[in-house]
Amino acid sequence: MVDFMKRALELATEALVAQEVPVGCVFTIEENIVAESRNCVNITHNPTRHAEINCIDFILHYCKTNKIDYKCYFTNITVYVTVEPCIMCAAALQNLKVKEVVYGCTNDRFGGKTVLDVSNFCDHSYELTGNLLSIEAMCLLKQFYKGTNPHAPESKIKKKKDS
Amino acid sequence: MSVEIEPPVKKAKTFANEDDYCNKIIDKCIEDIKNSQKNLEPVLSDDFQKSIPLIKVFVGIIKDPKDLSRTVLMLNEKIPLKELQHLKRIRKKEVILCPTNFIIGMSSIQQYIECNVEELKDTFQYFKELDVPLSPPKVKQQFKEWNKIWSCNFHPNVYLEKLVSGNFFAPTELNLHRTYMEIAFEVSRWYILHLNLNTNEDDVFRNINSAVIVDPTTQSVVAVSFDNRDANPLQHSSMLAIDNVAKTQNGGVWSTEDINPDRTLSGISEELLNYLKPRYPSVRFGARKFISKCDISSDEYNGNPSDGPYLCTGYYAYLIREPCVMCSMALVHARVKRIFFCFDNMFDGALKSKSKLHTISSLNHHFEVFTGFL
Repeated sequence: MVDFMKRALELATEALVAQEVPVGCVFTIEENIVAESRNCVNITHNPTRHAEINCIDFILHYCKTNKIDYKCYFTNITVYVTVEPCIMCAAALQNLKVKEVVYGCTNDRFGGKTVLDVSNFCDHSYELTGNLLSIEAMCLLKQFYKGTNPHAPESKIKKKKDS
Repeated sequence: MSVEIEPPVKKAKTFANEDDYCNKIIDKCIEDIKNSQKNLEPVLSDDFQKSIPLIKVFVGIIKDPKDLSRTVLMLNEKIPLKELQHLKRIRKKEVILCPTNFIIGMSSIQQYIECNVEELKDTFQYFKELDVPLSPPKVKQQFKEWNKIWSCNFHPNVYLEKLVSGNFFAPTELNLHRTYMEIAFEVSRWYILHLNLNTNEDDVFRNINSAVIVDPTTQSVVAVSFDNRDANPLQHSSMLAIDNVAKTQNGGVWSTEDINPDRTLSGISEELLNYLKPRYPSVRFGARKFISKCDISSDEYNGNPSDGPYLCTGYYAYLIREPCVMCSMALVHARVKRIFFCFDNMFDGALKSKSKLHTISSLNHHFEVFTGFL
């Protein structure tokens, strides 16, 4: 378990280096990694490209090329992600009926459990555990938010002040 | 031989009928939207509609009205009511002292007053418990209701008053919103025919959804999309629309191989664009030109870096059906400014039916939601 989260943290670090919000994620089936990814929102200009969504897309593609029923495949998946999945990702994982989600630190701004409990929207909900290597995950986020997002447009208010 | 020929003929016939049925429904919806006399309705947070939330307080009835102003000054200093600033402290001879839960651990309100404001220990004739409004009124209508219970302070917010007036959009604005919603239906029609979709009578719009993303500053359609969840469970129309907007900003991840070389038009399939343009000659299509960080740092560029589009900032999204929780949150991430939808989604709609995601105050972005096209 800890090893999977360590791998997710490596991916999150990779995201930080690439100036993306540092969140990493691995999907496992029976102790084997079947997908891994990190946040890539800035490079794709698509704010939904979170680590979990990338992993889901990877598995969907894998199932399609290998003619596997993805609906069945997802039910065996355990997700390790460095930050609690946001409302969007939590809903996506829930719709796909994944078995279990393990996360590092909580997500006070968009958490799919902390801010809005998405399990209220669906009959099925996965097992959810938090606080695995949460300090490490939080540290990466703090490093990112210390700097400014290089892709966000300059604040108009800030500009007026400067000029 | 005849046996072999028959089945395909029969099949073709049913197909034609289904298409026809679908076309009729879409025609009817477009017709109804066009002829609608109603203004659109905002979907507001529950505190606009719910019954008044109340809190129990102790009220003291003053012996000598001459003491009123001195008493209130003293109370404001010694027992300030930070959470109840919207309430006037006095009503005739009655003075709000404190919420009833303040005196936990004491035998009576008299004892509480003696402990906290000793000077007032003989000021009150008697005490009583009263229910008063817990939160400030948001709009005039609520102010009237609140006042029946206890006098309140209130400063009307012009924008909110207009929102609840039932008359928010001017006729010209309404026509624009209706046109974009019509386009969402035309997008569905085109894809249903184009993909040869076998739509079921009962659920033409239960499983089918389209999105139209508009830049209101240029009054131009930036991107459109059609639900593809059967092939990819992530590809609901909103998720696709966000990716199509990304394409206009040199990004995007889904089916990027046949992208329009003119990036400003890459949010809409070329064939579909050719279908829509003659039907809506007055509507503009395409995004404002995306300005990358490289452009800004190059010497030739002398514009304002915040002029270019960023995600869906400032954009409006027109959806046939109320989005699910995944899509609603995706639209928050995309920083859409307003969302318009036609049909409620009783199953998992997250902007009205099952939840009102846009009213969660802790989220970092909030859009407005409007419905009531039909």
